[in-house]
Amino acid sequence: MTKYESLINDLAPRKFGKRGTIWTFILVVIIIIGLIAYIDQIRQGQVVTNMRDYALWGIYISNFVFFVATSFVGSATVAVLRLTNNSWRTPVVRIAEIISLASIVMAGFTIMIDMGRPDRLLNLFIYARLQSPITWDVIIIPTSIILSFLLLYFPLLPDLAILKKHHLKTKPTFSKWYGKLSLNWTGSKAQKAIQSKSIKIIAIMVIPVGILLQTIDAWLFSTTYRIGWDSTNMGAYFTSGAFVAGLGALITVVYVIRKVRGLEHYITDYHFDKLAQYLLVTCLAYVYFNINEYLIPIFNAPAEEEIHLNALVYGDYAGIFWFSQIVGLILPILILLFKKGRKPLPMLIVGIMVVLGSWWKRYIIVTPTLLHPFLPIEGVPESWHHYFPSIHEWLITVATLAMALLIITLFVRFLPVIPIQRTAEEKGLLKTDKKAES
Amino acid sequence: MKNRSTSRSAFLVWTTGFLFCLGLSNIYAQNDEKYRVRLRADYVKIMEGDAYLNIKATAKIEDETLPVPNLEIAVYNEVEGEEIILGNTKTNMKGESRFLLNKSDLKADSTNTFNLGISFKGNDSFKKASKSTSFKDAHIEANLISKDSINYLTATLKETVTDSLLVGEALDVQVQRLFRPLKIGEEFNFTDENGTILVPIDKGIPGLDGNLIIEVVLNDSDSYGTVKAIVNAPVGTPIVDESTFDQRKMWSARNKTPIFLLIFINLTIAVIYGLFILLISNLFRISKN
Repeated sequence: MTKYESLINDLAPRKFGKRGTIWTFILVVIIIIGLIAYIDQIRQGQVVTNMRDYALWGIYISNFVFFVATSFVGSATVAVLRLTNNSWRTPVVRIAEIISLASIVMAGFTIMIDMGRPDRLLNLFIYARLQSPITWDVIIIPTSIILSFLLLYFPLLPDLAILKKHHLKTKPTFSKWYGKLSLNWTGSKAQKAIQSKSIKIIAIMVIPVGILLQTIDAWLFSTTYRIGWDSTNMGAYFTSGAFVAGLGALITVVYVIRKVRGLEHYITDYHFDKLAQYLLVTCLAYVYFNINEYLIPIFNAPAEEEIHLNALVYGDYAGIFWFSQIVGLILPILILLFKKGRKPLPMLIVGIMVVLGSWWKRYIIVTPTLLHPFLPIEGVPESWHHYFPSIHEWLITVATLAMALLIITLFVRFLPVIPIQRTAEEKGLLKTDKKAES
Repeated sequence: MKNRSTSRSAFLVWTTGFLFCLGLSNIYAQNDEKYRVRLRADYVKIMEGDAYLNIKATAKIEDETLPVPNLEIAVYNEVEGEEIILGNTKTNMKGESRFLLNKSDLKADSTNTFNLGISFKGNDSFKKASKSTSFKDAHIEANLISKDSINYLTATLKETVTDSLLVGEALDVQVQRLFRPLKIGEEFNFTDENGTILVPIDKGIPGLDGNLIIEVVLNDSDSYGTVKAIVNAPVGTPIVDESTFDQRKMWSARNKTPIFLLIFINLTIAVIYGLFILLISNLFRISKN
């Protein structure tokens, strides 16, 4: 077996083992339970949630914001690293593309879950009011889904052609499908030129579209005159937070795939070190924006803002607030400062901490503000003064997270998670130009 | 030895279970104490409009007076010891309810007094309660007059059945406003021997198109309840409309989107989706090559 064949063998998708099957089965079960809860929510109405007149956005919206943030990993790694010619990106770039697509698709679903009447979804387009950030969100999410798909698909073409050939004898059905999806890719000069130009266009597009997505998401909040949201810092704050959430998710998934697929030779300590440095820089930027967001209002805040800040720092939300700040941000920075902390296993722990911190961070961005209106909450039952998700909300939310993981799992099952062609080229295993010419 | 450890474990499990159940019973135990509801019923009559009872239910719970929502209340008319049910109503989240009265259904006693009652029959949380209110029918005749270029509001208060003038009653004169009415005239405008008041209307009171809606109110009288007459007086200063309703603003309706926004968003969409079309056509070009 040549080195090239050995590389294809290593990187080609493989059938799941026992662990993979159990993992997929668990995800499917969680999704089915969530689906049942969602059907019940549609049947009974949103009364099954704990959202009421004041807390009218709850866990669904915070989960949506989390998905949107995580989807930024595509822009953060693929585009930024490509445009800055960082060659270490190769083994992690496809995983980032997969996470990006899975997250943005699930963000779209999650927003529909939050709708009381999803059957009226089309009205969002028919009666769109262009002044509303909600309309901008409705436009930018499908746009991001298309872009994330193209971002994943274009670089995949050569690999799909390789897989077609690889599976020709052993798995003819797979080979046929890979062949169809590879769009008759032969690696000719003309094809390469078109592909390369297209990827460049996508890489350039991904950055402004990604920033637009995060900013619009932030403007959903900051354009409303509400305590905790009414901030000019919000767009940059959300974008820097998205870098952190996306990279945290990427590091976690990269570690798991590396371990499960035995890709230690391809995703090395060097790559984790680079990812760690990248995450460290983004975490520091996020700390800076957090200081802007929380510290400045302490100096000049009106009384209402003070109540809100006190609830976050000392009050009902203090646990979640400090968890997201310390576990999700400060501790990762401290760990990543040390070389030992930038090794794969500590990085997995950091990745999980960052993802959990990021998820809860979105929760405390959304909920406390709604429960601190300018006018006192009056004339409603006492339970409406508080919000904590109901069982339905938890089941559905966990199901959306499971769905995102299932999408990632299925992509990992059927696609090469590390670009084969590019890796072969970088390792000098292919004389691509000559082959293409012949 | 083994038996001993098994029985110890069983005891531990039993004790834990027992304590857990104790905790549960504490959580789910019903609070036997029933609260006392305080009802209030105020009769209000709008001249040439509705007459209704304003009902309010409150209860003192843990030293705090709170409104009682969703309380089923029966409204009845007491005539010579007989209670004629007029209907039922339910309090809202503020513990309030407005029960419209059909004047033709109401019967007065021999002194021309209407006796209305409200009652709540009690439930798991609150004791039964009732409240009655009595009133005679009165009416206010209000008019706008002009003397020596000064506008006045004149109003006469009479008892309806006897058509007798009511002297020495205090009437409020006020202009309707969004949050609370704007009082005009003296603090107390007592009816004279003709049962009449005369209140000058200041110049310069703003109103939509110069129209003022002026109320003359006999407020919460022991004998007559609240009686209100409304007069439309085109004697105010017109409010200059500064609304941007018809302008293209960020807060306007969808058909009034600012031009710059229309151009910017549509241009952005056109550029992005134009590139998408180019990219998808590139996929076709790749497959053809």
